[in-house]
Amino acid sequence: MSDGGTALVVDDSSVNRLLLVKRLRTLGLDVLQAENGAEGLAVLAANPGVIDVVLLDVIMPELDGYQTLAAMKADDAMRHIPVLVVSSVEELDSVVRCIELGATDYLTKPINPSILAARIDASLAAKRLHDLEQESLERQTALNRTIQRQKEELSRFLSPQVAALVSSPEGEQLLGGHRREITVAFCDLRGFTHFAEQSDPEEIFGVLAEYHRMMGEAITEHGGTLEHFAGDGVMIFFNDPVPQDDHVERAVRMAVTMRTRFEELESAWRHRGYELGFGVGIAVGYATLGRIGYDGRHDYGAIGNVTILASRLSSQAQAGQILLSPRAQMMIEGIIESEDIGELTLKGLTRPVQATNVVALR
Amino acid sequence: MSEVPVLDESVLRELQETTGDDPDFVRDLVETYLADVPVQLEGIDGAIAASDAEALVRPAHTLKSSSVTLGALRLGDISRTLEMTGRSGTLDATTRENAAAAHTEWTSVQQALDAWLAEQTKP
Repeated sequence: MSDGGTALVVDDSSVNRLLLVKRLRTLGLDVLQAENGAEGLAVLAANPGVIDVVLLDVIMPELDGYQTLAAMKADDAMRHIPVLVVSSVEELDSVVRCIELGATDYLTKPINPSILAARIDASLAAKRLHDLEQESLERQTALNRTIQRQKEELSRFLSPQVAALVSSPEGEQLLGGHRREITVAFCDLRGFTHFAEQSDPEEIFGVLAEYHRMMGEAITEHGGTLEHFAGDGVMIFFNDPVPQDDHVERAVRMAVTMRTRFEELESAWRHRGYELGFGVGIAVGYATLGRIGYDGRHDYGAIGNVTILASRLSSQAQAGQILLSPRAQMMIEGIIESEDIGELTLKGLTRPVQATNVVALR
Repeated sequence: MSEVPVLDESVLRELQETTGDDPDFVRDLVETYLADVPVQLEGIDGAIAASDAEALVRPAHTLKSSSVTLGALRLGDISRTLEMTGRSGTLDATTRENAAAAHTEWTSVQQALDAWLAEQTKP
């Protein structure tokens, strides 16, 4: 026995229709009726999502069974509805044609109630399966949309590379921690503390917003991974999570771009009475990268002497200087004009460091 | 042909058994059939008068399937022959004879069904 479901009977013979409707109701189905194919299509269109199975006569006026079937299969809203073709024994070749057109199965007249029940059960099961698949597909689509939205939100907080990493299959492993050679660029503003002391919060936020926008554009252009903004301090690294063969060069080119663009900001700020300068420290070395933080708040970060070295070089840089660690300088000396700054004693490092300032790109 | 009865009452009995929850249903079905057959016969006559073989197919087909459904097996056979003729595309003198036979048979079927209906109303 079928439990529920709605059938549409399309048959021009009132005797056959009456009997078929009766049989289907006995099986527990709700039944709609149509006297020909055109009427059947109209009933289908007027009851979207309602009809679970169609019992279709072949020989009918207006629109016959073939045309009706073809029209159903051409319609996205109807093509999944199972169609049982009702025909006489002499018409088996037309049944073949209907199956080719997409009919699910057929019934011969006069209709045997047991066979009808079996065919209806099979069709309703197929329809339920289809509906479940459809439902699951819709849920999946909604889920994908949510994930996509989360990714977009995430990419506003994280650098694009890290946002992509979080969503990638190998993301968990990379986030768990790995060791890699990276180039770290640390940038900050000379005179920022003094400026901050003398200015209103709105002015400070205004200046930082302009500065961060300029920095952000340059970081993206050069494929850097932004680790964090901390007031005027910005730490960027290269060669992770996306490997970059030219990571040192990228860092230097980014720093030079930033220095050039900073000059425009600087002159505008000077008109408003702000004395701010831009300094960068760049170092190359191995670091451990991954998720740093605690439950509820994690950053993707780098830990290693290389980050400390870049930060200290940045602190020592005069306004407009881009200071390179010795290794960074060696790796890109071909593409820059540089000046030797001499040995710098850096806080926390036992040995003095030979630093080089990038004057220009060659 | 003579071995086939005008009305196979076992077909009607089976219909009654399989729709047992609704004792009036088969009566309604028979009455629908009785009202419907003249329409199909008219269609058959019209197609033959117009020598339109294609137009013969549908009324003959409908008459065949509803007759077989209710156990009017001889009328079913005659209308099956008419349907085949219609499909063949050529109408001839035999077609007219078969149409006349359908009318004659229809009279017998009506009598048999009326008798059957009268039988059903007996207490």
